[in-house]
Amino acid sequence: MTAVDLGPAHAVLEDMAPVDHGHAIPLLQNIQESYGYLPREVLLELSSETGIPASHLFGLATFYAQFYLEEHGRHTVRVCRGTACHVRGRKIIQEAIDEELGIGPGETTEDRRFSLETVACVGTCFLAPVVMIDHDYFGNFDPKKVGEIIGGYE
Amino acid sequence: MTVLSALKTVNLTIDGREIIAHEGDTVLEAALTAGIDIPRLCHDPRLKPVGACRLCVVEIEGERGLLTSCTMEVAEGMVVATETDSLAAKRKTVLELILDDHRVTCPTCDKNGDCALMDYSYRYQADQFAFGGYKPGLVEPNFATGNKAIAFDPQLCITCGRCVRICDEVVMASALTFKMRASSVEVTTPFDMPLNETSCVLCGLCISTCPTGAMYDRAALGQGQIKDLEKVQTVCPYCGVGCTMELNVNRETNRIVRVTAPEGSVPNDGNLCVKGKFGFEYVHSAERLTTPLIKENGEFREATWDEALELAGRRLRELRDEHGPDSIAFLSSCRCTNEENYLMQKVARTAGATNNVDQCATTCHAPTVAGLASTFGSGAMTNSIDEIKDVDTLFIIGSNPTEAHPIIGLEMKKALKKGAKMVVCDPRKTWVAQHADIHIQHKPGTDNMLTNAMMRHILDEELHDPEFVESRCENFEAFRKNLQDFTVEEAAEVCDVPAELIRQAAEMYAKGDPSSIFYTLGITEHISGTENVQNLANLSMLTGQIGKRSSGVNPLRGQNNVQGGCDMGAMHGDFPGYQKVADEAVRFKFAEAWGVEIPTNKGGRVTDFIEQAGDGVLRGFYVFGEDPVLSEPNQSKVIASLENLEFLVCQEIFMSETAKLADVILPATSFAEKDGTFTNTERRVQRVRKAVDAPGQAKPDWEIICLMSTAMGHPMEYNDAGEIFDEMASLTPSYGGMSFDRIDEVGLQWPCPADDHPGTEFLHEGQFTHGLGIFKEIRFREADELPDDDYPYILSTGRTLYNYNIGNMTQKSDAIRQKQSKAFVEMHEVDAERLGVANGDLVKVATRRGEVTVKATVGERTRPGALWMPFHFVDQPTNRITNDAFDNITRTAEYKVCAAAVTKSE
Amino acid sequence: MDRALLEGDPHSVLEGMIISAYAIEATKGFIYVRAEYPIAVLHIRKAIDEAHERGLLGDNILGSGYSLDIEVREGAGAFVCGEETAMIASLEGERGMARPKPPYPAVRGYHGEPTIINNVETFANVPLIIEEGGAAFAESGTEGSKGTKIFALAGQVNNTGLVEVPMGATIREIVFGVGGGMPRNREFKAVQMGGPSGGCVPAAHLDLPIDYDSLKEVGAIMGSGGMIVMDNTTCIVDIARYFISFCAEESCGLCAPCRLGTVQLEETLNRITEGKGTLEDLDKLESLGEVVQQTSLCGLGQTAPNPVMSTLRHFRDEYLAHVVDKTCPAGVCTALLPVEATVGKEK
Ligand SMILES: Cc1cc2nc3c(=O)[nH]c(=O)nc-3n(C[C@H](O)[C@H](O)[C@H](O)COP(=O)(O)O)c2cc1C
Ligand code: SF4
Ligand code: SF4
Ligand code: SF4
Ligand code: SF4
Ligand code: FES
Ligand code: FES
Repeated sequence: MTAVDLGPAHAVLEDMAPVDHGHAIPLLQNIQESYGYLPREVLLELSSETGIPASHLFGLATFYAQFYLEEHGRHTVRVCRGTACHVRGRKIIQEAIDEELGIGPGETTEDRRFSLETVACVGTCFLAPVVMIDHDYFGNFDPKKVGEIIGGYE
Repeated sequence: MTVLSALKTVNLTIDGREIIAHEGDTVLEAALTAGIDIPRLCHDPRLKPVGACRLCVVEIEGERGLLTSCTMEVAEGMVVATETDSLAAKRKTVLELILDDHRVTCPTCDKNGDCALMDYSYRYQADQFAFGGYKPGLVEPNFATGNKAIAFDPQLCITCGRCVRICDEVVMASALTFKMRASSVEVTTPFDMPLNETSCVLCGLCISTCPTGAMYDRAALGQGQIKDLEKVQTVCPYCGVGCTMELNVNRETNRIVRVTAPEGSVPNDGNLCVKGKFGFEYVHSAERLTTPLIKENGEFREATWDEALELAGRRLRELRDEHGPDSIAFLSSCRCTNEENYLMQKVARTAGATNNVDQCATTCHAPTVAGLASTFGSGAMTNSIDEIKDVDTLFIIGSNPTEAHPIIGLEMKKALKKGAKMVVCDPRKTWVAQHADIHIQHKPGTDNMLTNAMMRHILDEELHDPEFVESRCENFEAFRKNLQDFTVEEAAEVCDVPAELIRQAAEMYAKGDPSSIFYTLGITEHISGTENVQNLANLSMLTGQIGKRSSGVNPLRGQNNVQGGCDMGAMHGDFPGYQKVADEAVRFKFAEAWGVEIPTNKGGRVTDFIEQAGDGVLRGFYVFGEDPVLSEPNQSKVIASLENLEFLVCQEIFMSETAKLADVILPATSFAEKDGTFTNTERRVQRVRKAVDAPGQAKPDWEIICLMSTAMGHPMEYNDAGEIFDEMASLTPSYGGMSFDRIDEVGLQWPCPADDHPGTEFLHEGQFTHGLGIFKEIRFREADELPDDDYPYILSTGRTLYNYNIGNMTQKSDAIRQKQSKAFVEMHEVDAERLGVANGDLVKVATRRGEVTVKATVGERTRPGALWMPFHFVDQPTNRITNDAFDNITRTAEYKVCAAAVTKSE
Repeated sequence: MDRALLEGDPHSVLEGMIISAYAIEATKGFIYVRAEYPIAVLHIRKAIDEAHERGLLGDNILGSGYSLDIEVREGAGAFVCGEETAMIASLEGERGMARPKPPYPAVRGYHGEPTIINNVETFANVPLIIEEGGAAFAESGTEGSKGTKIFALAGQVNNTGLVEVPMGATIREIVFGVGGGMPRNREFKAVQMGGPSGGCVPAAHLDLPIDYDSLKEVGAIMGSGGMIVMDNTTCIVDIARYFISFCAEESCGLCAPCRLGTVQLEETLNRITEGKGTLEDLDKLESLGEVVQQTSLCGLGQTAPNPVMSTLRHFRDEYLAHVVDKTCPAGVCTALLPVEATVGKEK
C-alpha cells in the first residue's frame, strides 16, 4: 500500500481552523472532497491534530451514508429509491444500471470509473424515476438509455 | 455544601406511594431510592442517560404516551405507574426483540448469575423464539480477539451502548465506538483495530457496565459462572487510592477468577484501573514462596517453620545483644496491613529494642510527611477523593494522576466535565498536561523557583488572602521578604518556560473558587523534596486555598498502604499516630502498654540502613515485603551493602532480588489471603478480607511477625487481626474511635478520635492541626547532578499506568504483560533525530553509576534534553543508574533528576 | 417543495429565520440541507452572503445591537437527522442518534442551549404573517390548520409537481383537479401522504378535506407534504414493505424497538409478499407495530409502523389475498403470480 499524502489534509485543517468537535462532519466532508474518500491514515492524523478521538471520526464515517472509507469511483451514480420513484419503476432502472455497470449498489467498478449507490428521495419527485450522476439529474429516466447516458462520463 | 443544601425536594407518587425526591432526580433514581425496581438495560448511574433500551418506560398521568423513567425528571405532584399489565406486555415484546438478536447461551455463559438480560427475560417470561430465534452466523475476529484482558462476544451484545459511553464519558479514553447504524450497529474500535493498539487503558470499565456477558474478563472465561462465584469485598493492593473491590472466588478451585467493584463503592464509584482489575494473577503464581528457606553454602534449602524462625530470631537477638540497638534494623512494608505495620514497629521496639524501623515512605512521600507536618501539623492529604469533582481550579504539579492514581484521575475528569480549569506543571506532556488550560513544562528540579515566582506574582497583584494569612498563619513577614529575591522573569529563565504562563497559572490558582493542589513524587523525589512540599503549603496558605471542602494540599500516596505504614509508626521517630518517640510521656504510655522499656536510640531510615550495612555498622536486617535492591537508587552499591550484612531475613511472597541475598526467607501471604486494614491516601481506613487460602505453608504476615518476636525472646500472640487493630486504636488517638465493626462497609477517615466521631473528610477547617499554619522561607537549590558534556541529558524516572513498583506483582498478569512488559526510555524527537534513533530502536542509557539498554519511545512527551524511564522492569533495572543523592531532611533519593547519556545500541 | 423553496426563494426562508431568531434572542442559526440538493446549498449560501452585505446578518444587525450568524450545514446522508434531536447531535459533530425528550430542544437543545427547529416552509411563512398579520394568513385554511400548504404531487398521476392549495382542499381536488387524474385512466387506489412514515389514504376518503387533524384521523400525516398517487398496479403490501424497509435502514440504531422492531416488521412483510405469510402474521404486525410506535425513542421509530398500520386498516382485503389466497391482486409480488404471468414478465 502506498502511503497517503497528508498534505491535502493539513490544508483542509488550516482552512477550517480552529477545528473543534462540532466541526467533525464538515471536516470529514471536506476531506472526502479532496481525497474522494476517507483514508484511514488521514483520519488518524486528523484525530491527533484536532484531539477529536479516532473512534468518533470512525463512528461518524460509518454512520453517515455519504462517507466512504474505501477509494471511490470517479463518478457516483445514485438511483433514487424514494417513494415516487419506487412507484414509477425504479426497480427496473436499478436492474438496468446494475447490468450496464456490472456492479450492485455500494460497489465500485474495477476501473474506478463508477460507484453505484441508492439514495433517498432527491426532491424532484415530479420527474420520477430519477437518477443522479455526480451533480446532474436525469428525470423520467428511460432504462433503455442507460448505456448512452453512462457513456457521457469518463 | 451550599449546592447540597440548595437541592429542593419534590413530592411525587410512584405506584401509589408518596415519595420525596430531589429536584433534578430522574423518576428512575427516585424509584430506586424508594426501593421500587424498574427494569433497565442501558442505565448506569455513572453515565448520562440516553434512553436506548426502552425497558424502563412508565406511565405518567397527564403525559402523552410512555416515557422512559431513566431520562424523565421528577416534578411536583407527578403520578407514576411503573408496573401495569400494558407496560409488562410491552417490555416483554421489547425483550423478545432483543433476545431474537442475542445468542441465548445461558447454560454455558459466564455471566449467568448476574445478567440483567436473563433476569428481566425471566421476570417478563420473554420467549427467545417469539420472532424466530437468533440465527448464529460466522463468528469473525473482532477488536478484542487475542486480547488477554478483555473478551468481546458480539453475539451476546445487545447494543445498549454502555461500554462505548463509559469509555467516552467516564474514562475519556474513547477507545470504543459504535460503527454503522440501524440493525448493523456494532461496538468496535476505530477501524476495528486491535484493542491494545487503541487509546484503551484496559480499565475494564466496559466490562463493569456491560449488562450481558458480551464484554467479559478474558481470563475468567470458563473459570466459573457468576452464580457459582463468591464475592469477597476487600481493598486493592496497588496504589494509594484504595479502591474497594470484590474478589470473585471459585470455592471449588480456591482461585480468584475475576475482580469487580460494587456499584457506588467508596472511593472508586464502581470503577477500577487496569492494575486493580487485571493485576491479581500474582496471587496464584507458581513462583510464590511456599515454604521457609534457609541458605546453606550459598544455596537455599527448604526448612521447617520452627527451624527458620529459631535461626532468624536467635541471630537477630544475638547481634542486638552483642552490638547494640543500631546493629539491627527492621524494614516494614507499605504493601501490608496496618496491623502488620503496627506489629513490625512494635517488634522492633520490644523484641528488637531499637528504633531502627522504617518503611518505603522514605523512598517516596517522606518529604510529604515532614513538609506538611512542619507547616500544617499533619502530614497527609488534606481533602477527600470525593471532593475532587467539585474543585474549580485543579493545580497539579509533579503528578501524573491518570496513570499513577487512575481513579483520582477519573474524579478529576468528573471535575473537568463540570467545567473545572486545570493548571499542570510537569516536564512531561501527560494526559492531564495535554488537557490542561495551562501546561507549564518546566525543567526537572526547578519547582521551588516556579512556586516562588508564582507566589511573588500573587503578592504583587494582591491576589492573596490577607485575612487568612493574618488570622490563620505565622511567619508571614519573613516569608514575604524571602520572596523579594525571586522574580517571574528569573523563574522563566531557570525553569525555561514563558513568564506569561507562570503569571497566568498563578492567577488561575489564586482565583479558583476553590482551588486545590495535587502532587506526587515529582515534588518529593528531589534533594529539596521537603522544601518543595513546604512551598506548596505556602502557596495554599497565601491564597487561603486550604481548610475548605474541595480545597487544600493533596499528596497522592503511592503504595496501597503507605499512609497506613506511616500512621502505624513504622518510622524511627514516631509511634502510631505520629506520637513522637522523643516525647517522654508518649514513651511512658507505650512502655506501660507493651510492658517493656522503650529504646532511646535515634534510629534511621532505609537509606541509612543501607549505608550503615555497607559501613559494617548495621549487621542484622529484617526485611518485610520490600525489595530495596530494585527500589533504592544506585543498585550496585545497594547490593554490595546488603551483602556485607551478617544476617538478612526476608519475609516475602516471591524470591525478590533482595530475598536472593537473604540467609532466611519466610513465606508470606498476599492481601487476598489475610484479614486486616489498609489506610488509603485520603486517610480512609478500610477492611482487607481473606478471600483464598495461602499456598503451601505460607502464613499471614502478622502471624509470622508474632512468631519472629517470640523467637527473638519476646513472646507475642494475637487471635486475629481485629485484636491487633483494637490494641493499636487504644494507643492511637487519631484512630481511637475505629473498630472493625465501624469500618465494615466504607471505612472511616482519620482523625476519628471517639466511638461516635464520624471521621474527618477534610483537614484544617478553622485551624491547623498545630494551631497556626507556619510559612517557610524556601530558597531555590539546584538538583544534585546537573547535565554536563559527558552526560548531557536530564533523566527522570517514574511510574506507568500498567505496572507497579518493581513489577513483581503486575508482571504476573498476562493482560498486563501483553500491554507492557519491557523497559523503555522516552525521549524527544529532536534529540532522537540528532542521535539517529528511531522509535523502537534499542538505546543505551548511561549515568556515572551504570547503564541499561532499553527501547526508545520517541515523541513529544518529554522536553528536548530530557529523558524519562519507568522503573518497573527487573531485566533492565532503572535504579542501576539513578543517583543516590538524598533530601536533606528525609533522606529520600533524587529519582527525578540525574545526568545521563544516550547512545544508539548496535 | 422544501428544496424548491431554498432554490427559488432562499431569502424568504432567511428572513423568517432572522425574525424568529430575533424573537427568541438566538445568536446562532443553522440551515441543515441535504448534500443531495447542491443547488439549494449554493443558493442559500449566496443568500446568506447577500444578507451579510446588506447588514441583515452578522454583528449589530441594522444597528439594532442584535447579532445573528447563520451557518449552512450539509447533511451527510442520514434521514433521521431530520428529527430534531438527531439533527442537534449531528450539528454538534456526533453520530445522528436521537436524544430523549423531554427535555425538549426548546428547553435544552444545541450544546444545552434553548433551540427551536422549524421546517423551511414554516420559516418562509413567517415574513408573510409579520407583514400582513395573522388574520390575513388565517383567511385561508380550516379551523385547525391555517394558511396554505405546498404539496409535492407525484406518482401515478398525469401532472406532477408542486401545488400550493389552501388547507382544507380535498384529495380529489388535488389529484383529479390540479393533478389531472390518472394516466391511461387507471383506477385510483390510494394516495400516500407524509413521507416514509406517513400513511396511505384510500379511495374512500377522496373527498377528505386535508388538514392536520383530518389526516391524523385516517392514519396519515402532513409530514413533508409529499403526495404520492398510486393506482391499481401498485401492491399495497409491497408498498408497506418498501416503507418499513426504508425506516429499518435509516434507523439510527440507538433504541431497541426501532432498531430491531422495524426489521421484524420488514421480515414479516417479506414473508407475506413471498406467499409464506399467515393470519397470525397480520396480528403480529399490528401488535408489534403498536409496541414500536409506543416505545421508540424518536419520531422515526414512533411513526415507522404507520404505513403498515394504515394499510392494514384500509386495505386488509389485499393483505388477506396475499396470506389466504396467496395472490397479489396488483400483480407485483412475483412469488404470488401465476406461472405464465411470471414467465411473460421476464425480459
Ligand atoms: C425521521 C424524521 C425525519 C424528518 N425529516 C425532516 C426533514 O427532512 N425536513 C423537515 O423540515 N423536517 C423533518 N422532520 C421534522 C422535524 O424534526 C421537525 O419536527 C420539523 O421540521 C418542525 O418544523 P415545523 O414545526 O416548522 O413543521 C423529520 C422528523 C422525523 C422524525
Ligand atoms: S448474556 Fe445473559 S442472557 Fe445472554 S447468554 Fe449470557 S446469561 Fe444468558
Ligand atoms: S478497558 Fe477501559 S479504556 Fe479500554 S475499552 Fe474498556 S472502558 Fe475503554
Ligand atoms: S458490549 Fe455490553 S455494554 Fe457494550 S453495547 Fe454490548 S451489551 Fe452493551
Ligand atoms: S491501583 Fe489504585 S486506582 Fe488502580 S484499582 Fe488499585 S487502588 Fe484503584
Ligand atoms: S422519490 Fe425519487 S425524487 Fe423523490
Ligand atoms: S434504562 Fe431507560 S431506556 Fe434503558
